[in-house]
Amino acid sequence: MIDDPVLLSLVQKQIDHVARQMGWVMTRTARSPIFSQSHDFSCFIGDARGNVISQADGLPIHTGGGGFALRALLAAFGNAMADGDVYLLNDPYTAGNNHLPDWTLVRPVFVDGLLSALVCNRAHQSDIGGGAAGTYNAAATEIFHEGIRLPPLRLIEKGEVRADLWQLLLLNTRCPDLLDGDLRAMLGSTEIGATRLSALIRELGTTEGQAFFDAILGHAERVMRAEIGRMPAGTYRGEDASDTDCFETKDVRVRLRLDVADGGMVFDFTGSDPQTRGFKNSSLANTHSAVYVAVGAFFDAGLPRNEGTYRPIRIVAPEGTVVNARYPAAMTMNTVYPAGEIIHACWKALAQLDRDRACAGWGKVAYCITSGADSRGRTYVMYHWHGSSGGGAVAGRDGFNTIGQLTTLGGMSLPNVEVFEQLYPITVKRQEFRCDAAGPGRFRGGTGVDYEVDVAASAEYSFRGEGLYTPSGFGVVGGGTGRSGAMTLTPRDQTPIDVPQYGVRSLPPLHIKVSSPGGGGWGNPHERDPALVLRDVEDGVVSVEAARQYYAVVLTPDGSAVDLTATQTLRRSLSQPRPPGP
Amino acid sequence: MAAVLRPPWRIGVDVGGTFTDLVVIDAAGAIHIAKSPTTPADPTEGVLAAVALAARQLDLPVTGLLRDCALFIHGSTIATNTVLGGKGAKVGLIATQGFRDTLEIRRGLRADSWDHRPPWPDVIVPRKRRLAVDERVDRRGMVTRPLDPESLSRALRTLKGEGAEAVVICLLNSFLNDSHERACHELIAREWPDVWISRSSQVAPIMGEYERVSTTTIDACVAPRVVPYLRALDERLRGLGLLRRLALVQSNGGIVSVEQVAARPVTLVLSGPAAGVGAIRSLSRAAGSSDLICIEIGGTSCDVTMMQAGEIAMTDQLDVAGYHVNIPSVEIHTIGTGGGTIAGVDRGGMLWVGPHGAGARPGPACYGLGGEEPTVTDAQLVLGRLKSGSYAGGLILLDERRAAEAIERRVARPLGIDNTAAAAGMIRLMEQKVRHAVERVSIERGYDPARFTLVAGGGAGAMHAAAVARALGCRGVYVPRLAGVFCAFGMCNSDVRHDYVQSWLGDLDTTDAQRFAAAFAALDAKGRAMLEAEGFGPNRVALHRLLDLKYTGQQWTIPVAITLPFDPRAIRAAFEESYSRLYGHHQPDGNIEIINLRLAASGLLPAVELMAEAAAGGAPAPSEIRNVYVDEHHGRRPVRVYAGADLRPGQSVAGPAIVEEATTTVVVGAGDVLSVDPYRNYAIALAEARP
Repeated sequence: MIDDPVLLSLVQKQIDHVARQMGWVMTRTARSPIFSQSHDFSCFIGDARGNVISQADGLPIHTGGGGFALRALLAAFGNAMADGDVYLLNDPYTAGNNHLPDWTLVRPVFVDGLLSALVCNRAHQSDIGGGAAGTYNAAATEIFHEGIRLPPLRLIEKGEVRADLWQLLLLNTRCPDLLDGDLRAMLGSTEIGATRLSALIRELGTTEGQAFFDAILGHAERVMRAEIGRMPAGTYRGEDASDTDCFETKDVRVRLRLDVADGGMVFDFTGSDPQTRGFKNSSLANTHSAVYVAVGAFFDAGLPRNEGTYRPIRIVAPEGTVVNARYPAAMTMNTVYPAGEIIHACWKALAQLDRDRACAGWGKVAYCITSGADSRGRTYVMYHWHGSSGGGAVAGRDGFNTIGQLTTLGGMSLPNVEVFEQLYPITVKRQEFRCDAAGPGRFRGGTGVDYEVDVAASAEYSFRGEGLYTPSGFGVVGGGTGRSGAMTLTPRDQTPIDVPQYGVRSLPPLHIKVSSPGGGGWGNPHERDPALVLRDVEDGVVSVEAARQYYAVVLTPDGSAVDLTATQTLRRSLSQPRPPGP
Repeated sequence: MAAVLRPPWRIGVDVGGTFTDLVVIDAAGAIHIAKSPTTPADPTEGVLAAVALAARQLDLPVTGLLRDCALFIHGSTIATNTVLGGKGAKVGLIATQGFRDTLEIRRGLRADSWDHRPPWPDVIVPRKRRLAVDERVDRRGMVTRPLDPESLSRALRTLKGEGAEAVVICLLNSFLNDSHERACHELIAREWPDVWISRSSQVAPIMGEYERVSTTTIDACVAPRVVPYLRALDERLRGLGLLRRLALVQSNGGIVSVEQVAARPVTLVLSGPAAGVGAIRSLSRAAGSSDLICIEIGGTSCDVTMMQAGEIAMTDQLDVAGYHVNIPSVEIHTIGTGGGTIAGVDRGGMLWVGPHGAGARPGPACYGLGGEEPTVTDAQLVLGRLKSGSYAGGLILLDERRAAEAIERRVARPLGIDNTAAAAGMIRLMEQKVRHAVERVSIERGYDPARFTLVAGGGAGAMHAAAVARALGCRGVYVPRLAGVFCAFGMCNSDVRHDYVQSWLGDLDTTDAQRFAAAFAALDAKGRAMLEAEGFGPNRVALHRLLDLKYTGQQWTIPVAITLPFDPRAIRAAFEESYSRLYGHHQPDGNIEIINLRLAASGLLPAVELMAEAAAGGAPAPSEIRNVYVDEHHGRRPVRVYAGADLRPGQSVAGPAIVEEATTTVVVGAGDVLSVDPYRNYAIALAEARP
């Protein structure tokens, strides 16, 4: 029991600082654009029992469920761990990982011969073998189609790299150069983390160290219980669905019953659809992370971020469903989908607790991934991030017009077109906001973009058109839903070819056109400031007709000003808000 | 009583938010200071008022003060304030067809991915004034679609109709081939002679269309406000007797003439604080150390700047009020931690400090202006390091009782500890943040802060420097007597500097030495011509050449200093050494790419020699003995308090002690020894850190 509240606060902040330092080292050392440009990695710290005590760095979807991996590692190696060891794992079924491409590197921290903490780096690798370059095999029906599976492994033994194992890893990727450099960057980041953390624990005293960690977890739990305690008790429901299992059009539902009582929450996914044929199945760790993302985004961003925060939350995820798939289901897509459906289902239920905190839905992904060989003959993998979707609105701001995907809450930034044109055989033709695709609202959703690109060479494509057909950016508190996306593929000098929603194809040089889905609106669009509606019309993201139809704003005939009298009359005449959505 | 100045002298004027600071340093190194209130409505008047005040104090006519001034340097927050206050010009933007939204997409960069609620700052150019021209340059710099002048004329008609005052030109891949941007520039200048034009290939010729357009937009946004102001000030000063052109401090810490900065006013965004670099350089000579980390702590923030081996840490990525600006700049890492930072206890019973602050109004609880929440200043008052009464010449009145009440109510009682422990806890937490900021600046660059001397600037820096330095294991602490006019002082110690960047994009190993030499020769010629126009002969010009290098696949580049002629093996070795220092490893035989060539061209001014005073003997007498909380081991005890004016060069004071200066208070820890150097600055030798 720690009775020094000041020291406790100092220690908590010091641990978060260590996690961030690990992130700085990783960002600057990693070789793959996926880390250096998009920060698709997370550094986190666990205690000796496998509880995550800091997740100050990285992506929300990565670290919430990080404790599953730590506990699997401890179960596998327990007392066999030694100072100077570093461990690696990636398997969701046996190693508590979220999905195969996120490799989790764990360095145990020993102080005075005692296992005191675990410093971790979880990072999405460029390629890990499997049926498609770039880790996303949209044709996968078993985990074996998705790449190499790693149980908890000792990668470094008392400071010595196991060269044979390192070689095995490099043999199982299409991008050995990148993997080699990125693994080194991961090792470097855990090394600085371990050095800093052991210094802290030594300062505290080895036995007191764990007492401080317990107090940090306990504090987070108390804060979260207090937050939940302010919410109305009751039972709430939320449901979100995908319209495809990757092979055929069918609804795959995530159903949620949320019970709020006594400063605790139960997220019960009983009734969700069975696991699917394709690779959109969640692991238990990933489902936990997704719920934590939804909860973290709903409550205050200032909440502590460690596993104590999640103690008041219980998650029921029946085995064999899409939120907790049974071996050997494929599941690489899970950090995007069904994580997206899980977050959306949670937000729909949570919106009923507090409208001021309600979060509208983000447009689901429409773009594809292109891979091939570059001029040096090395495999490249390119995400068409310039076609990212619109985000959802919250009270106080419109949705971001185009933003990194929902499960990262925009934490993955978009690259510059000029940089991508240097790296890949492409010419981008267009990246502009869409008109009338944003979900209307007092705060409207993000517009989405029209993205066009020429790919100069034959290449392999992995499709993930989750947001192409069914509108996905739902509105809240009376806000409307954003429009769905669209995509065309046109080989040079030819007629367009069919676009698979999911799947892997080899295609000739192509012109790709993506309209990315819009985000959902927050609040009644009739309450949107007419000046903002005018600005949207002038900006060309809302048409004159939509201004009248959805926002009940009438413009002067030349479109240069709001006709205030006509607008007030129209708004008054419409006592009931219209059914939302364009 | 007026001191007699020996001509010629230099004058530095720093216009801050509250005060305009003026420093005169004469030919003998004697320093005179004048402080006057800033006039936000008309900064010209503020500058002239400060000049008039100084002239009065020195018993000189204004014309006399200006006529014998060899260098009049001005640092101003006007560019930043223009952006912050949304008072910039109405800007129009010309972009490549299909890419007019780059500025608003912002690469989707979120400051904190866990907090999705804060909106981005409003886009400076709304979409209706972002217009496309028909043209395209490809990734090799080849024109694949010629510029359609009619599309540009159409856009200009729209922008004229919208009443734009400035036009930004930023076309895709112009960092490789700027012929279309130049053609647009010429056409606009012809068709619309009175509009301000900012062209990306001139303002920020870097790869990455978002950072380029954002930087160029800030340039266009501030130019029509900043340039007329500077020209008017220049004319006024010359009308009053100044014989030289006004000089400005740029974000890179160097100075530049008013005419040259007018071509690229975005380089002024850090104009005020970057001048601190000159002060750090001067202190580095006085302190006898070329490894310094400066913490400048004021009421709301703490700025951290680093000098390593005599070189100031630079960056080219700035965030100005949420807008991205990529220009070579002194790296100033700012955190929202200062004397006015508020503390409290969260729902889980944990103490927090910041990042919110009480500002000037209502300010800390002890000001008695209605502030209810306890701040760092309140904690210092409760601990006895400050005392009740008047500060800053009577502008502020501190009341210990109010401070104690606020801390009792908001911190001590909720935590179940006594007031002293609560106040001490607030200070420790605040100092931890400062320490983390110092670690970020140094460790991110691969340097151990323990090798550095910590310099304390700003009103509150010296209250925390010894404790922070001890925790970092630093070599010592240095407190300049002029901490309160740090930047104005620094201006008088700056060289003229121009930065040039040229994108390259090629592998190190296959670089053609002749082409490489020619590219640098072209940059050198630009730099020399610019400096020659400012009167610098060849022997007063210093050229520093750098390459931005990276391994293939890496996004971030590392600047590496090089010498000519081109030597790829030496460059590889230097890159690998930097890389290893930063990251602890490197990739032998990894493919290295050259991204940019950089040139820093400096016009060297004679260093100011400060007047040294002879050492005095004897021990100084304390002005009072006060009950002060020292640290967690020594608790509260009687501590000697000295008035700074009573301390003479050569004297020293053993801690624990407090030294009260006009604009700052120095806290000396137990076992520390403070000594006064010949320039009346304070050096603190630190006691060993307790385990």
